[in-house]
Formats: sequence, structure tokens, C-alpha cells
Amino acid sequence: MKRFLALVCSIAVMATLLVGCGNGGDQGSTSEGGETSGITAENVKVGVIHIGDPATGSGYSYTHDQGIVAMQKNLGLKDTQIIRKNNIDDADATAIENAMRECIEEGCNIIFATSWGYMDTCAALAEEYPNVFFSHATGYQSNGKNFNHYFGRIYQARYLAGIAAGMKTETNKIGYVSAMGSENGECTSGVNAFAMGVASVNPDAVVEVKVTNNWYDPEGEGQAAQALLDSGCDVIAQHCDTNNPMIAARDEGVWGVGYNSDMTAEVGDAVLTSVVWNWGAYYTQAVKNVLDGTWVIGSKVEDYFGSMSDDLFRCTALSAQAAEGTQEAMDIAAAAIKDGSFDVFTGTYTDADGNVIGCDGVMECNDGKTMEVDGVNYAAITSYYKNVVVK
Amino acid sequence: MENKKKEPLLRVVKHAELSRGQTLLLRLLAVVQALIVGGLFIALIGYNPFEIYGTMISGCFRSAMAFQATIKFCIPMCISALGVTLAFKMKFWNIGGEGQLIMGAIFASFFALFCSDMPHYLLLLVMFIAGFVGGGLWGLIPAVCREKWGTNETLFTLMLNYIALYTISFLRDGPWRDPQAAGFNKIARFDPNATLDKVFGIQAGWIIMLVLVVLVAVYLKKTKQGYEIGVVGESRDTARYAGINVKRVVLRTMFLSGGIAGIAGMVQATGSDITLSTGVAGGVGFTGIIIAWLAQLSPAVSLLISFAFSILVKGSSVVQSTYGLSTDCADVLQGIILFFIMAMEFFIRYKIVFRGHAEKTPIAASKKKEEDEA
Amino acid sequence: MAETTHAIRCEKITKIFGSVVANDQIDLDVRYGEILALLGENGSGKTTLMNMISGIYHPDGGTIYVDGKPASIQSPLDAQNLGIGMIHQHFKLVNIFSAMENIELGTPGKKLPRKILKQNVLELCEKYGLETDPEKPIHAMSVSEKQTVEILKVLYRGARILILDEPTAVLTPQETEKLFAILRQMRKIGCAVIIITHKLNEVLSISDRVAILRKGKSYGTVNTAEVDVSALTELMVGHAVTLEIDRPTPQEPQDILKLVDLTVRRNDGSIALDDINFTIRSGEILGVAGIAGSGQKELCETIAGLIAPSQGAILYKKENLAGKTPRELIDMGISMSFVPEDRLGMGLVAGMGMTDNMLLKSYTHNKGPFIDRAPSRALAESLIEKLGIVTSGVEAPVRLMSGGNVQKVLLGREIESNPHLLITAYPVRGLDINSSYQVYELLNEQKKKGVAVVYIGEDLDVLLQLCDRILVMCHGRITGIVDAKTITKEQIGLMMTGATAEEVMEYGK
Repeated sequence: MKRFLALVCSIAVMATLLVGCGNGGDQGSTSEGGETSGITAENVKVGVIHIGDPATGSGYSYTHDQGIVAMQKNLGLKDTQIIRKNNIDDADATAIENAMRECIEEGCNIIFATSWGYMDTCAALAEEYPNVFFSHATGYQSNGKNFNHYFGRIYQARYLAGIAAGMKTETNKIGYVSAMGSENGECTSGVNAFAMGVASVNPDAVVEVKVTNNWYDPEGEGQAAQALLDSGCDVIAQHCDTNNPMIAARDEGVWGVGYNSDMTAEVGDAVLTSVVWNWGAYYTQAVKNVLDGTWVIGSKVEDYFGSMSDDLFRCTALSAQAAEGTQEAMDIAAAAIKDGSFDVFTGTYTDADGNVIGCDGVMECNDGKTMEVDGVNYAAITSYYKNVVVK
Repeated sequence: MENKKKEPLLRVVKHAELSRGQTLLLRLLAVVQALIVGGLFIALIGYNPFEIYGTMISGCFRSAMAFQATIKFCIPMCISALGVTLAFKMKFWNIGGEGQLIMGAIFASFFALFCSDMPHYLLLLVMFIAGFVGGGLWGLIPAVCREKWGTNETLFTLMLNYIALYTISFLRDGPWRDPQAAGFNKIARFDPNATLDKVFGIQAGWIIMLVLVVLVAVYLKKTKQGYEIGVVGESRDTARYAGINVKRVVLRTMFLSGGIAGIAGMVQATGSDITLSTGVAGGVGFTGIIIAWLAQLSPAVSLLISFAFSILVKGSSVVQSTYGLSTDCADVLQGIILFFIMAMEFFIRYKIVFRGHAEKTPIAASKKKEEDEA
Repeated sequence: MAETTHAIRCEKITKIFGSVVANDQIDLDVRYGEILALLGENGSGKTTLMNMISGIYHPDGGTIYVDGKPASIQSPLDAQNLGIGMIHQHFKLVNIFSAMENIELGTPGKKLPRKILKQNVLELCEKYGLETDPEKPIHAMSVSEKQTVEILKVLYRGARILILDEPTAVLTPQETEKLFAILRQMRKIGCAVIIITHKLNEVLSISDRVAILRKGKSYGTVNTAEVDVSALTELMVGHAVTLEIDRPTPQEPQDILKLVDLTVRRNDGSIALDDINFTIRSGEILGVAGIAGSGQKELCETIAGLIAPSQGAILYKKENLAGKTPRELIDMGISMSFVPEDRLGMGLVAGMGMTDNMLLKSYTHNKGPFIDRAPSRALAESLIEKLGIVTSGVEAPVRLMSGGNVQKVLLGREIESNPHLLITAYPVRGLDINSSYQVYELLNEQKKKGVAVVYIGEDLDVLLQLCDRILVMCHGRITGIVDAKTITKEQIGLMMTGATAEEVMEYGK
């Protein structure tokens, strides 16, 4: 009987608590129609949802967070104006939603959702909170009002990295550890751009791709690199989270091309160069756009697809072990990319020897067919370039 | 040489069965100890424990939205604890709450994805039944195998968790892949028609949870079937002796146990996640075991403990972002609290006696009494 | 007397389990060349005390002196090193090993070559007058042979102080005599022997002195020569008791249940009951005697419907019950009650209170999905009053009750269902004398009401006094059904080991 009473009591308590919060859900003012969102450098508050923990010092979340740090510095925001939610599993919709709601609760008016899996939640909450700006990395959904997506033509930098690898290889076999297979456009566009860069300086070299089927798999990434090394590759490139492929290459006495952060710092100058993001370029731009009224939350925000000329990404300085002439070859291509005449998949440029380079929108695939390509639709690129071999 | 040996420094001694009140007091003591040691840990890494604890609590109750989120965490934990409770009462070590929850979510998601044009409440009912049946069948498999071939249910249910989990991956990458998902694979977000309604701003799962708490409590205490579960759990021989069809009770109970976990999955997918993802269970099936066990298989207490757990989860999340405390620190804190509560279970049954502190008082007292009487 | 003559001397030994004081400042001593009987009712703390001497428990207070020196015995290994060996009630042997492998198991040093080991074992046997085949595997041995191996195991480790916990409980009278001869031989060689028992006749025949424990306290030591059975009983129980068991004459016994050509196999395929034929009659108590494991358990469970026989019939008014489940028997309206050997593991639900235990057989009686506890609670309360059950309440778990009260709960429930047939397996095992006599009375009451009572027992003295007929079993077969008033204990003992009733009658002359 006592227990029953306890049961009834606890239910009653919960019920009253619940009734007490019946009118939750609306947050912030509904100011509409002004020129700006009414957000100033003083009252702007930025929430960031990380899939990992930036404290790890390298990798995906770290590079995004460096971008946030840069933005904060560029715009002179206080620490209290940044809210970070770390280790939010992008397969756990409830955790994602909770993290975003907590940001909103704490007064965030801009939320950067840095992982792909956050997309659906962003879309849903953007509808619920029209005065909060949701900016989602790597996705394809947006509403033009308070929800956009952002990414960049990282393949441009990979093309340059391909030049460094193509000039260095002695065995004419270059390994590439890819997180996902050809069906994943982000990975495949990267592989292809890299392979084109290789072909532009070394038509005889092949790019051997090994897929780990995992975005973060320290052991698997090292093993994939080792397998490539065993098959005779002497430069290893990567599109995955840890620097284990670079370590494997260095330990084998050969070279690598890193990704995400400057991997020479931890692995040494066996890493010829690293393809790195500079998310600060976007984060600064996005927040600035909101503050100066270029973007008005609730009525006008635009999707962002940054380019090399926006400084959203770059190749880090070549290491001492890079082949002679690499810098020059990369500079020519980079100049063409920056002036818009060449975009890896579209356009052409002329190299130092006077050859015209570039597939100009029609890519020859490794299955002998051709495919129309365009960097903006990188997700649609699901066939490998002709010099790519899948291992 | 033997004679030089002293009495052992520490000895473990069983003490008398404690009363309900004493047990409760010990458990509360464990929580207090945990908070103190947790506080020391917080202080050690350079934060003010009072502030952290305060933020934890305020993070759960500071606004309607915060409280709603807290309840949202509570729902699947409590429901899966209820599922586990049935199986554990029967001493069937069902470690498969996670998998049963996932299967329930999968079954329910099928209707959410492909029959979303059904009338809303009919669809909800269909999804509810589907979730129950899905989880139930997943619970039935290990029960059938144990009754037929004597397989070990602990390992069996554990392994089924992984099969269930990877079934989601398979569906996500294959047949149920959102055709619009360019690049990465995912399952589409459910149509609003296939989403649990909100009551007081929280998905209606909380009502289901409360109803289930009452139902399970009544089922165990007041029904013949509940009584049979208790008898089978205590001794299969006694059950046989009393004419209970043990096999039928085991199968029925495991179907119910899995079914309830399946309801948790259905509620989580259609109420909170609004999609089916590999994170639908996210360890809740295992947390449910801890909760049920701490609650001593009492449904009402399970509800309270689930709520306490959800405060821990929600509070840690706020603490993490407010103080930039690593999520790992929050995990350590949770671990400390759990450790103390579990360790206290030992002291509820045993005590440790130090050398030379053997208990003489009761006899001395009784001797004295006898002398007095004489 | 000089300290050194004591093999073991306990001084104010105290052991507490929870709130129960199992041993309260107990003093005890035993010398070399002496057999000490430790006498006490169940729960008086005999085994606890011996477990402390053999290193299984550590006392909470007091000192144990071995050879006059204070000893701290922290493990059975310590005890072994001090020359103490204990033979437990439940044997601790590896079934698939041979006798000598079991004897050697766990001894320090290298494994001995088989030949030498066998030689050693045989020498030991000769010294103490034991008989064993060192090569014989344990699973092929009888209970008494296994006990011999246990004794050898202890002697092989050099024990000079032997403790035997209820060693005769599983033996026939003849085997008991043999064991006693061995113990006497040990005494002659100079060992100290402590034998735990509650059988008074045995105490008188084997021991030199008797130490008496009652409710965890020691009540002194007496020289065996100076006491008799009734004096010992009084010391053990604390007051005078009549040891007569009533045996009313059966009134118009009628056949109730007929077992025809019944054969039962165990799960492993071995035969538990081999072509059994007998009749159970109303108004009489049929005793069943036999060495433990001779098929008594299977006999009960087959009649109660828990095991399906592989062959044969159980006839109840021309209806065959063989293979029917307990539920079907109840549905057929057959009123049968069964008090199984394992009370808390089969007859009752240990973790539930009396009310819920009363429900066990009747919870299906009302309609609908819900349980009605009111009648059970009333029944529980009336049983408490009627049988004087001591409990803190009808909802207190029965496992917290004492053995006697547990048995009253079980027996009470079974009798309350007004059965025509009452099967009881070892109903007084573990009970103190008072409770035992209460059980005998209850059974006699049932008998007078015309109930057919089956009594599976182990104490032959009780069987002879209580029952009308005694059925003796050996290896799943019935060696005879005899009149309890004319048969002797020794004759039953012979039948328990395979002799037929006819052969035994010959022997009796």
C-alpha cells in the first residue's frame, strides 16, 4: 500500500511539473522586417555543435574550432559569446536536438552545426526558431531565411597536393586512404582532384585508393596505409581523421600528403604538404554578414561554397623533402585557380612547359566512360578519374 | 611459526538483514558520498564543485525547455528499465534491452516511413503495436533458444544487440536509404503525421512511460501472471511443483520484456529522434539494466531513478558547455556516482571488521543481562 | 591437567552471522587417543564451530589452541598444516578421477608415479584398517566408499585430528558399524577424533566423551559411560522429552493408489525406478527406507506428476495418472499433497512471505487475471495460530524462518488442502526434536482422518516406530515391503543394500 502511495505521489509531482511548463517553446523576440536582424557585436552569441572534442588538438572538430577561435578574435567577441557543445554523436538525434536547444536556451542566435548528421535537426529547429540562424556544414538543405549550408571547393587544394605527390613519386604509385568509397561524393571529388593533379605532372603515375568505410578509425587508417605501402606506393595521401597514414609512410621511409591540420607538426617533414581548412574564413564572414545586415536572420541568408580565393583552405608550406620544382608547378596551378580560369573540374590552364591542362567539365573515368563534372555538385561525382585504381 | 600469525587485518562479515529504512538510508548515504568524492574530483581539476553541481541542477530545471529535455532523456531509460524488470524478476538475465529497443524502433519506423499517409492516430497505434511486437520477438528468440537448447541467455541477448544495431546500418545504407541523401547515407526524417504528438511541450512518450510504470507495477503485484514470474524467478522447481508451465511463463515474460523495450524504441524514434538512426538506443538499454537493478525491480522506484539519471545526463551536458569542461569529465563524474551506489550494495549485505575490533557487544550485553537476572 | 595433552582446546569461541550468534563463548577440548562426540540439535552451532577449527570461518572472538599453543587458522591449508582434517557432510571429490587421484589432488610437491602413489595409499589403508580400491573412479563408488576416500584424503595429508560432520547420516547400519571400527582404530593409533551427530545411540556406542551444544552455547562435557539416552536428550534439548512415537492402528485401510510396473529414467538416461509395484492405502503410513539416491526422490516426483515415467501405470480409481502434469492432476480433482525434500527450493518460494506461499497451489482458483490474496492471508494467519509458527509476519520471506517453522508452513499448506494422499519426503530433516515430534503428530492426525501417508525417511528408528509398513528401496528397485512392527533395524539395513525380504527373514532367524 505504501508503495502504491509512493507511485501515485511521484506521478502527481511529475504531472504538476509538466503542467507548469505547458507553454514552452517560444524563445526570443519576433522582430521582423527590419534591415538587420537586430543583432550586434555585443549581443551576438554563437553556438557550435562539435561531433568530437576540439581538445584533441587535431582532426575535424579541432580545425572547425580553430575557425571559431579565429572568428572570435577577428570580431572581438568575448568568451561568453561562444557556446560549445562537444562530442555530440551525429547518429543520436535526441542528443543533437538537446545540444541545439541548450544553445538557444543560453541565448545563441547563430548556431554552427559542423557535422553532416546534424542536418535534419537543423532543418526542423530552423522552422521552430525563425530568429535563430542555423548554419550547417557539408549538407545540402537550406531555407534561404535562417538556415544555410556551407562547404568549400577543398578539391582545389587537393589538386595542388596531387602535384606535390606526382612529382615526388619514384615508383609511380601513390596511395590514397579514403574514409568512404566512390559512392560518397565528398571523398570521390577529392580523390579525383588529387588524381588530376598527379596526372598533370606525372601522366604515368596511378593513384591507388583504399577505403576504410569509417570517418574515424585510427587503427584501420594505419592498416590501410600499410597495405598501400606494401603494394609499392611511395606517397600516401589521405581523407580521414587521424595522422596514422602519415606515420605509416614515414616509418616506411617514404612520404605523405596530410589532411585537416598541418601534419608536419606531429609526423615530421616526410609529410610533403597538408591540405588544411581555414574555417575561420567562413565563420568570420558569416557572423559579419549577420552583424552588418548582409544576411538578415528570418528573411535572407545564403548558402556558402568557398573557394581558394576566399582563403577557406590551402596547402601548407612544402616540406624540405618535396621534389624540386614542386612549388613552381603548384604556384602556376594555384594562380589559375585563383583567377577563375581553372577550377579543376572546369576550365583549363597552361603549365610551365606550355601544355594545356584540365578536363574542362568532362572527366574520363577509370571504367573508360566519361562523366560531366562540376565542383558545385561535388556530391554527384561518384566515379573515379581514369588514373585511379581501387585497392 | 603458525602461532605467530595474527588475526587477518580485514575480514568481510555478513550482517543481519537490514530493514527497508536502513537500506534506504545507506543508499542515500552512498549518493552523498558520491557527491562529496565527485566534488573533490571537480575541485581537483580546478573548478568549484558547488557551482558545477548548481549548474547541473539549474541546467535541468532553469526553463520549461530544459525540463522538457530532461524528461525526454528520462522516457527511454525508464521504459527500458521496466522491460528489464520483468525479465530480471524471473532471473532471466536479459542484457538485450538495447537490441530489443532497436528492433522496436525498426518495426515502428517501417510504418513511419512507408505508411505515413494513414490516419494519424491509427498510424500511431500501428507503430506502437509494431514497436511492441518487434521488441517482443527480439526478446523471444533468446528465450526460445534457452528453453529448447539451454543456450546462455546473457551472451545470447548481448549478441543480439549487435545484430539489431547493424540491421539499422544495413537499412540506412540499403533499402531504407533516404533517396535525397546525397553523399552520406541516412534514413529520412519522419513525416509529421508519423510523429508522436507533444503534450505540454514534451513528446507524448512520457504519458506512455507513466502508464507503463503503473501497468508493470500492477502486473507484477496483482496478477496471476506476475505471480508466476516471481515463482519461476525464485525457483523453477517450485514452479514445476505448483503446476506452472515454466516454459510458457519464460516465453511470455520475455516477449513482454522485449516488447516494453520495443515500446521505448518506438517512442524514442517517433517522439524524440523523428528518424531511425544507429544512435536510437545509444546505451539506454544498458542504463535501463542499472536503473532496474538499483530500483530493486520496483517500477515506481525505477521512475525516480530514471529521472535522477536524466538529471545527470542533461546536467552534464550543460556543465560541459558552460564551463568548457570536457565531456569525459562529466563521464567520470557519472562513473563516480554509480560506483558509490553500486559499492553500497555490498555494504548493505556485508560489513568489514578490522583486526581486534570483533563485535563483542551483543554477547557481552546479553551476558551482562543474564548475570543481572541471576 | 597439562595443556599439552590437548589436541585442540577452544576457549570462548564466538561467531556471529548478522544478528545471529551462532557460537557464544564456547569452550571445548579434545585429547589425542580420544573420540569426542559433539552433540546438539540442528542449528545449535556444531558445524560452525568445526568450520572454525578447520579454517573455513574465522572466529569473531576467543582462541583456538592446537597442541597447547594458540593458533590462528585462516584457511583450510593452515588447518591442514596443523594436522587438522575435516570430513564434510557433502563430499568434495572429483567424480571422474580415481580414488588415489582424488587423494593426491592438491597436495604440494611433484606428482608421484602411479605405482608409488598406489603403494602409499594402500599402506595408509592397512594402518587404519580402511578398505578401498585406489584405481576405482569416484563415480562408480557407493556413498560409503566415497566417505572412505574422503577419510583417506585427510589422513594422506598427515591429519592427526579428524573432524567428521554427521558421517552416518548417509550410511546403512552395517556401514555405520564399519566406520566406527575405523574410528576406533584411529583412536588406538593416537588420533583425536571429533564426530558431529545428533543420533544418540551412536554417541553412546562410539564416543569417550560428549560435548553438548545448545542454541550456540556449550553446556559442558560428560563422560559417555556415565550417561544414557534420556539423560543425553535432556542435555541436548534442555528439558525432559518422551521419545515415544505414537502409532495408532489403521482404520479400514483401502487401496488408493496402485503403482504398476513403473519405470522412470533420469535426464541422463540412467534408470531411477526399475519396475516398481506397490499399493498405497488410506489410513496408514507407508514408510520408504533406502540409502540416499536410491530412487526416493523420483518416486515422489513421479506420483506428484513432476516426472513422466517411461513405462508403467499409476492407477487412481482405475484412472491412469502416469504422465499427467500437476495442473492436470488438480483439474482431475485428485487431491494429492506433496511435501518435497527440498522445502525452500521446491515446496515453497523462499523469497516470498507466507501469504504468497499459500497462494502457490491455489492462485488459479479464482476467475480473471488478478490474484486474490485475502483467502491466502487468512489461511496463513490461521496456520500461524494452529501450528504455533514463529514469524515476524505473514509477509516476511519464509527463508528467514527457522527450519522447523518452514516445514510447518509447507506441511500446513499441504494438509489444509484436505488431501486423500500425502507424500512427505524427509519431513523432519534438519528439525529439532520438538518440531520433529510435532510433525509426527500431524502425520498421525492425517492418518486417523483416513489419509494415505507416504513417509520417506532416513532415521530407521523413526521409521520403525511411526510407520505401519516399510518399503525398502535399493538402486531404484523395491527389495521388500515389510511390517514395521516385526522387522528390525539391521534387517532393513541389509535390504537397503540389496538383500530381499525373504533373505533377510532367513538372516533374522
